[in-house]
Amino acid sequence: MPSQQPLASKEASLFRNVLKFYETKQYKKGLKAAEQILKKNPRHGETLAMKGLLINCQGKTEEAFAIAKEALKQDMKSHVCWHVYGLLYRSQKNFDEAIKAYKMALRFEPESQQILRDLALLQVQMRDYPGYIESRRLMVISKPQIRQNWTGLAIAYHLAGNLTEAENVLTKYEETLKQPPPRSDLENSEAILYKNSIIAEGGNHEKALDHLELISRTALDKVAILEARAEYNLKLGRKEDAEKAYRVLLDRNPEKRDYYAGLEKSLGAEGEERLKIYEELAAQYPRADAPKRIPLDFLEGDAFQAAAERYLDWRLKRAAPSTFTSLKALYSDVAKRECLQQLVEAFLAKTREEAKTVEPPADTEADANTNGDKLTNGGGSNSSTNNTSVLVYTLYYLSQHHDHWRIRNTDTALSYINEALELAPDNADQGELRLGLARILKHAGDVRKAMAEMDNARQQDKSDRYYNTKCSKYMLRNDCNEEAIKTMGLFTRNDVNGPLGDLLEMQCVWYITEDGESYARQGKLGLALKRFHAVYKIFEDWTDDQFDFHSFSLRKGMIRAYVDMVRWEDSLWAHPFFRRAAANAIRIYLLLNDKPHLAHGSLANGTGEEGVDFESLSTADRKKAMKKAKREAQRQEKAAAEAAAKAKDDRRGGEEKRQDDDPLGAKLAQTTEPLEKALVWLKPLLEFSPNFLEGQTAGFEVYMKRKKYLLALKCLLAAHALAPEDPVVHEQIVKFQLFLASKPELSPTVQSIIEETFTLAPADTPLSEFNEQYLQSHADSARAVFSVVRTRQALAAAEAAGQTEADSETLLLAVPAKEGTTLKEAVEGLAVMKEIKGDVAGYAAAARERWPLANIFEAKA
Amino acid sequence: MDIVRLHPAHIPHVQTCNITNLPENYFAKYYLYHALTWPQLSYVAIDLSKPPTSSNDPPKIVGYVLAKMEEEPVDGIPHGHITSLSVMRTHRRLGLAEKLMRQSQKAMVETFGAKYVSLHVRVSNKAALRLYKDTLQFEVEKVESKYYADGEDAYSMKQDLGFIWDSVKAEEEALGIVDKKPDGTAATADEDLDEGDPVGDEGQSDKKKGKKEVLRKVKVGRALGVSDLVEKVEPAKAAS
Repeated sequence: MPSQQPLASKEASLFRNVLKFYETKQYKKGLKAAEQILKKNPRHGETLAMKGLLINCQGKTEEAFAIAKEALKQDMKSHVCWHVYGLLYRSQKNFDEAIKAYKMALRFEPESQQILRDLALLQVQMRDYPGYIESRRLMVISKPQIRQNWTGLAIAYHLAGNLTEAENVLTKYEETLKQPPPRSDLENSEAILYKNSIIAEGGNHEKALDHLELISRTALDKVAILEARAEYNLKLGRKEDAEKAYRVLLDRNPEKRDYYAGLEKSLGAEGEERLKIYEELAAQYPRADAPKRIPLDFLEGDAFQAAAERYLDWRLKRAAPSTFTSLKALYSDVAKRECLQQLVEAFLAKTREEAKTVEPPADTEADANTNGDKLTNGGGSNSSTNNTSVLVYTLYYLSQHHDHWRIRNTDTALSYINEALELAPDNADQGELRLGLARILKHAGDVRKAMAEMDNARQQDKSDRYYNTKCSKYMLRNDCNEEAIKTMGLFTRNDVNGPLGDLLEMQCVWYITEDGESYARQGKLGLALKRFHAVYKIFEDWTDDQFDFHSFSLRKGMIRAYVDMVRWEDSLWAHPFFRRAAANAIRIYLLLNDKPHLAHGSLANGTGEEGVDFESLSTADRKKAMKKAKREAQRQEKAAAEAAAKAKDDRRGGEEKRQDDDPLGAKLAQTTEPLEKALVWLKPLLEFSPNFLEGQTAGFEVYMKRKKYLLALKCLLAAHALAPEDPVVHEQIVKFQLFLASKPELSPTVQSIIEETFTLAPADTPLSEFNEQYLQSHADSARAVFSVVRTRQALAAAEAAGQTEADSETLLLAVPAKEGTTLKEAVEGLAVMKEIKGDVAGYAAAARERWPLANIFEAKA
Repeated sequence: MDIVRLHPAHIPHVQTCNITNLPENYFAKYYLYHALTWPQLSYVAIDLSKPPTSSNDPPKIVGYVLAKMEEEPVDGIPHGHITSLSVMRTHRRLGLAEKLMRQSQKAMVETFGAKYVSLHVRVSNKAALRLYKDTLQFEVEKVESKYYADGEDAYSMKQDLGFIWDSVKAEEEALGIVDKKPDGTAATADEDLDEGDPVGDEGQSDKKKGKKEVLRKVKVGRALGVSDLVEKVEPAKAAS
């Protein structure tokens, strides 16, 4: 009820027009009409509110808020003004404030379904379940004849964890039906299945099964019915019925592992029985992979060998490139991987023999069949797959086998793949094999040649985006960012925002992340941050994406999938894509906190070879270098802007590009508060991935620098609980103890909490000794060596170094030769050697012994 | 290899698989739109070569079929449509595409009463054409000129699902379910009782309205525009 004087009839009708224009998105017309009203009634609150809303739609947010506030001042008791105020906050994604405003609006207009609905949507988006239940309840009361209102209320209870009420609500609606809905009613089909899943979730499988049989003829989702029937029967110990259900499911889809597991359980099979089940199923479903492959997981010894031989024979004869991938999971078992190697070698010998006896393949006809584009090979008939292809992909298997990280015999892997390449009958196989060759080279650290070979693979079939994608990835690994984006650009839509713009819009997380990591490697921290922030933005978008479905899914009726989505969204920020970007971003912000000059790419030393050693310069020289760097940055920005302008000219008729005022991320890198920026990443990391070790150790660093000692300690304790022997955890324990030893000024409360909870450092051993003890018990670990060396540095800086330590340089020099050291660790070792200003060339030479192909250890001319 | 229904958690990885293999790409919300409108129709193939160490481990998706029901079929016949299908090059020659497709097709019939399924394929994509024609027995219906954003033509292909109807009928008869006659509850007047606005504008134009000679009436949700969900991918582009 408007609290102001009502408008005159002409203005009142104009006002209705304003609303109409807003709803039909005719913002300009709407504004014009609003202005017309305001001319006569300049203080009319609701018109002002609408004006604010319309202006906001034109992107002028600040002005919009000012007007909306003015509107409220004029008319505090108008639901329209409050509703608009809420809508403005909603558009800014400030959902808490929006909810408050909607609630005010409802106070003045309790009957408004529109406001109630807007409020409910925000409540579920914010996971305010008590509030959501209340709003949904009001909606049922106001329109009980609509099924989706009841379903909505049930969902609210369900999400809040109240299964009983959720079920009750669904039942109550069903009881209002005079006759059962027709079988064709999808909304009904979903609602009854939803109810069934809620009963089962409550743990009463007896009741769930009874209900399931009641609805099984009406519900249209057959797979769901069958899966539920199998599961409930199994849980209830009705093994015969469970078995029957699982067999029906397997008949539908013999490639789902859950069904096999269920069948095994319902048969209670053990020992040889187990294998028999699979042999029968394999005979029943000759085209299925699963019944042949699964026994390899549980068989051992001779039985394994026999089964593996059959499996290999079947797969290798199909000349498919994925045989190794299918078996890779077995490689943690030494006996199994050795057995596989022998079997494949025997198969190879046999195939070579056959190749000699068979006429050399007539290149024309037979090859037409093995054109690598052949996507499927259904029937399992091997006659059409010629011997050469079989030979080629057997060699391919062995190359992958020897390249496996547990074996990593690069020379052998290369000799197999090269032999395969010489034999490969056609282009498609050539592409496939070059891909394999490139992968081996990448693993050996020759990123340059890997990139060249991957480009070779790409050339075999330029219409294949898979090759194109992998080629771009390898370009990034070789820090060729320009080539990479150009290559990606061969397949992106380039008419609006160019290749990168398309990749951002299509949320191509892998590329953005790899690009960022490449820039980080090159010390281009601004660009790196720019990319990682783009990943952050994608996660924000994925969070926002669910909003529309809160109402959409109720209308569509597909409730179970909706609940799945809500639960997935709840853990979205724990996603490894986010973790990886976050770990990178925090590392960069920590670096920028310690060395702000790194924000200027050209001053980054230690990464670029030509970089000036900024830290060793005098103050005057530093200033000079800084100035030069800034000029360089300006030049680059200008060039980037010009390039963008030119690109825009080239795209005639394309949409207007949104201006990016920081294309190189210079502003991001030059932040004056890097630690605060790091928190933006750290908080979701700690909240959603508390078991992610790297998150906890990053948290320790950030909080120590922010002087939040208790929070730092919390991270340290969490990290220690996750991995008590981890080298970084060890390093941080010493760091924290050193900090305490420096007698910092701490409040008595903080002091006492620390004393009570921090018992990880030794009470009576000196830290230097503690450090050396750690080294002795972890002498085989490269990462332990790095931590110990860095810790020695820290101890020396705090004048707490011991006397008897072996030389750090010697320690590091021995790292590449250690058996367990990986290439990645060896690269980290190089950085540590640089940090301690040790014998970098000597280290590189030692690493070259072990990784002769790795570019990073190449001797500088 | 595991072939399972598309779950929302799969989406970022299906998206990766798609943009790795095909030039027609979509943002996550478009996949969500499929997964939440026709959850029975889309399937993924998951590589199991790295055993997951925790439940949080992302699945490695090496193939998928993203499918839907045509919301307002021009011919009035309920039918499915393959929005996108692809298999990673490293996992080809395993018959994955066919296995994925069969799962989807069966659900199209069972849940939505689809009579046939359609798709588009680039005229230049010989490999995909061979897959659809030879392995999956689709037929070329016509050529749609300049269907793709880059101006390339598409083959419009379809496959009759009669062969699935037969088996579904047999299964239902075994269960004693009699197929209901068309019940005539047309897109009812409860549109105005509807809870809210459509997610997007009512984007579907009138010209699409064909004669509705529905053999087995199935309510595919209410006729709703979803342009807000699909606007940036027009035209809804098809399989490889």
